[in-house]
Amino acid sequence: MDIQRGNIIVMDRRRGKLRAGQGLLQGLKVVWDHWIGSFRKNENFSQIHGTFTIEYPDERMKLPQAYRNMPVLIYDDETGHELCTACYQCARACPPEVIHITQAKDPNTGKMVPASLEFIIEYDACMSCGLCAEACPFDAIKMDHFFELATDDRMGLLQRKADLNRPISYYTTIAPDLWDEVKEGAMKKLQGSIKRRPGVIGIAGHLSDKIAARRRELEAEAAAAPPAPADAAPAAPAGKLSPEEKAAKLAAMRAAKAGGAAPAAEAPAPAPELSPADAKAAKLAAIKAANAAKKAAEASAAEAPAAPVDEKAAKLAAIRAANAAKAAAAEAPAAPVDEKAAKLAAIRAANAAKAAAAEAPAAPVDEKAAKLAAIRAANAAKKKSE
Amino acid sequence: MDLLIQIIFGLLSALVIGAAMMVVTVRNVIHAALWLIASFFGVAALYLLLEAEFIAVVQVLVYVGAISILILFAIMLTRSNEGDRLLTKYWWASALIALGLFGVAFLPTFTGTTWNMPQPTGPAGTPEVLSGVEELGRGFVSEFVLHFEIAGVLLTVALIGAIVIAFEERSRRRRVLTLAEELELRKRRQAAESVD
Amino acid sequence: MYDVINHLINTVFGLGWPSWAISLIAYLLVATILFLVAPFQMLFLTYFERRAIAQMQDRIGPNRVGPQGLFQPVADGVKMFTKEDIVPDAADKWVHLIGPCVVVAPTMFMFAVLPWGPGMVPLDMNIGLLFFFAISSVSAVGLMASGWASNNKFALLGAMRAVAQMVSYEIPAVLSLLAIVLVTGSLSIVDLIHQQAGLFISSADVPGIPDLGLGWFVFTPVGFLAFIAFFIAALAEGERTPFDIPEADSEIVAGYMTEYSGMKFGLFYLAQYVLNFLLCAITAIIFFGGWQGPGVGWLYAQAITPTNPDGNGLFNVLAGMLGVFYFLAKTYFFFFVMVWVRGAYARLRIDQLMDFGWKFLIPLTLVNVISAAIWVGLTKWGAAEGLAFVEGWAPLMRWGVAFVITLLLNIAAYIFLARVYSQAQDERARLDNEVLERLTNVA
Repeated sequence: MDIQRGNIIVMDRRRGKLRAGQGLLQGLKVVWDHWIGSFRKNENFSQIHGTFTIEYPDERMKLPQAYRNMPVLIYDDETGHELCTACYQCARACPPEVIHITQAKDPNTGKMVPASLEFIIEYDACMSCGLCAEACPFDAIKMDHFFELATDDRMGLLQRKADLNRPISYYTTIAPDLWDEVKEGAMKKLQGSIKRRPGVIGIAGHLSDKIAARRRELEAEAAAAPPAPADAAPAAPAGKLSPEEKAAKLAAMRAAKAGGAAPAAEAPAPAPELSPADAKAAKLAAIKAANAAKKAAEASAAEAPAAPVDEKAAKLAAIRAANAAKAAAAEAPAAPVDEKAAKLAAIRAANAAKAAAAEAPAAPVDEKAAKLAAIRAANAAKKKSE
Repeated sequence: MDLLIQIIFGLLSALVIGAAMMVVTVRNVIHAALWLIASFFGVAALYLLLEAEFIAVVQVLVYVGAISILILFAIMLTRSNEGDRLLTKYWWASALIALGLFGVAFLPTFTGTTWNMPQPTGPAGTPEVLSGVEELGRGFVSEFVLHFEIAGVLLTVALIGAIVIAFEERSRRRRVLTLAEELELRKRRQAAESVD
Repeated sequence: MYDVINHLINTVFGLGWPSWAISLIAYLLVATILFLVAPFQMLFLTYFERRAIAQMQDRIGPNRVGPQGLFQPVADGVKMFTKEDIVPDAADKWVHLIGPCVVVAPTMFMFAVLPWGPGMVPLDMNIGLLFFFAISSVSAVGLMASGWASNNKFALLGAMRAVAQMVSYEIPAVLSLLAIVLVTGSLSIVDLIHQQAGLFISSADVPGIPDLGLGWFVFTPVGFLAFIAFFIAALAEGERTPFDIPEADSEIVAGYMTEYSGMKFGLFYLAQYVLNFLLCAITAIIFFGGWQGPGVGWLYAQAITPTNPDGNGLFNVLAGMLGVFYFLAKTYFFFFVMVWVRGAYARLRIDQLMDFGWKFLIPLTLVNVISAAIWVGLTKWGAAEGLAFVEGWAPLMRWGVAFVITLLLNIAAYIFLARVYSQAQDERARLDNEVLERLTNVA
């Protein structure tokens, strides 16, 4: 029987003709055929007999490529750069307004950079309309196929960038044809935005190896170029450093550099009056970051037996960060740049802690600690900006 | 064995009489009907005790299964007078009449005579079973054929009467259209208007 | 059972108990077994129905609790037991409570006369069939009480519908049974089964037919028409799908069960499935020979019976097992047909139901009673009853003539009634149209 959609089937009631129950028997026959057929499985859904059920937890339906559930962010596998340029198109398109973006800034120049610093989607209020993915000019936001989101933790549905990032290779597994359509343009645009991203900005935060590689690259470039003016920070002992240690060191260096360079800042904004509150906030942020790092290190110590090095490194980094912050606070005229740098330092420290947490496999405690650290850092930053 | 039967008889009689008392004393009419059903059941059980299985079963089938349902339907479909005072000021007259009738019924017992009727004698060879199906059937078509016919005619008349009443009622009532008819009506009206 | 208990207590233990005590124990034991069997039947039937209907709809059905989901009803039962029992504030508490009990009790009573196998009947009443249907009509009272006591309009509507339906469809059911009772001349269910020995021709009609236990009434025109009418009426009595108007969930929530929860609801559920089982069982018994089947008769002839006291006890067991197997196989087949019908047909409207019952089924079964009378006259009567001309015929010849005449009569009646019925429907549609035209003044 071939029933096309949209066609109206007109039943011929055949009034006046004696049917004497034939219709009833035909109805029974149809049901009988279905019953007999149901002992087979219906494989391809083209025939109308056979069991259609897909026993969900045991077997899964192959989802069509264009299936959409929740939006995720895409980054490039090779360079680790995110495709997102923080253009706010998705946030504007979002009907329930659950997308929140902070654009990254060049710490040296204070200029906006085509990359996002933080990218938050409230999954609990997201309605899976896919308008963000439609609107994105850089193909950076795509709809995921993952749908088992049930949780007893509502705040866990507040997805930050680290939770949202997915590699392109993942997206090609779920929707190869869709990616092929946009691949060329997206990659071209990505190359364009990479050029405008200084340092390691724009590299997905959890890819510490990519960040490290990029940093080495930069260092190599710097070595090839005339020596950089700012190397005030105490040099860390050379040798094999774990990525998180490096990250922590970096945070400390940045903080120190920002503190030292503050008077000489080329920020166009006029330096405001001396504000001890700012300094205090910076200190607070630094301490919080240090605490977070410590906590993360402790957690990882509990997780991995060979962690004391990490712990030490983290502690060291934290202390350094604190020191640097203190130094920054001591440097009296606290400029907005100063403030920002401190914030950055805090965030970096948090990221480092998070990365450390990510390093340990299957460590929810770590993750929580990292999240906590990140939230604290963010809070500190917020307080500061206030 | 006899003692057992006596005990069961006592219990059943208590049930029947108690339920009957409840029928007339209970305030709620539906409750009264339900008690009446309980009483019918007790009577059926008493028949069973008398080894009159057929009568017992017919009692259940007719009285419990049909008559009581009719009573319930009648109560539910008519206006309820729940809470009305059931006793009029002439209740003593009714009580006297009821007592008198009761006394008349018990008169033979009081005077020492018995109720014993001559045993029914079936055709030769039939077992002597009180109110067996076969005796009953034969009785209906031979000895009591007139009563049987009269009862049948009476029931038929009642049936026809009910149909007549229902028909008059229906013809007087305004016809209520179904949704489909309502739609069809609207469509036709619109069509008529567009023609005009 | 009495003999076994008697042997055990008075011979083995030598206690010398009186016979009434033995009787009491025997009946209590049988009753206990039946009370255990009934809920298990219900549990299995719910599972069976859900799986079968799922397969008819190209689904799988419950298959996760236990092997192939066999323990699903147990899980449901646990849920039912642990649920809160809610009684509405405005409900009549006591009537609300006894409603479900009155609905369940008759279904349990009905087991009393149900023969499971040869010699396996709890109580062989000589009016067993009548008892069965008389008791089944009692549950209408319970339905009415529960529907009224819930103090809910849906419950009351459902109860009204249920009772109207049960009372209406009892008539065709009993009339179709009447035809069979005419043929057998007995109201005993056990007699009914014994008369269905034979091979397509009942050995009660034609002596000398080989007994393969296949002389079912359904192979005669009278029996077949009675079977169709009875099964339809059984669907209506059991509130199965084309006639599940009392609990039409799309119209009146759940009918009389609306205000029930927990185990009281469970009781309704139990009553319904047990009643369905019983209706299927009685269909199998009356029209399909119950435990009759190839081999049972022969086995039972070797067994210890009142007529054959020096038989072999082993054959009792064998005949019983085979008989119960045949009986249950037939019963479950009819339950499957009920599910099948549920899968195929949509629910009727209440007026369609009443039309069908009163204008089609009842006349049809009345004609069938006449056919049954003709059948009895041609196969069993002789000069004594005024049919001297059949005296000389061979039994097979008498059977054949009766078969042809009743077949023609029944087919004619069916076609005539179907024609009248369909014409009535057309007439009704035409009248509706006319009314519309008159109302609108538009042709």
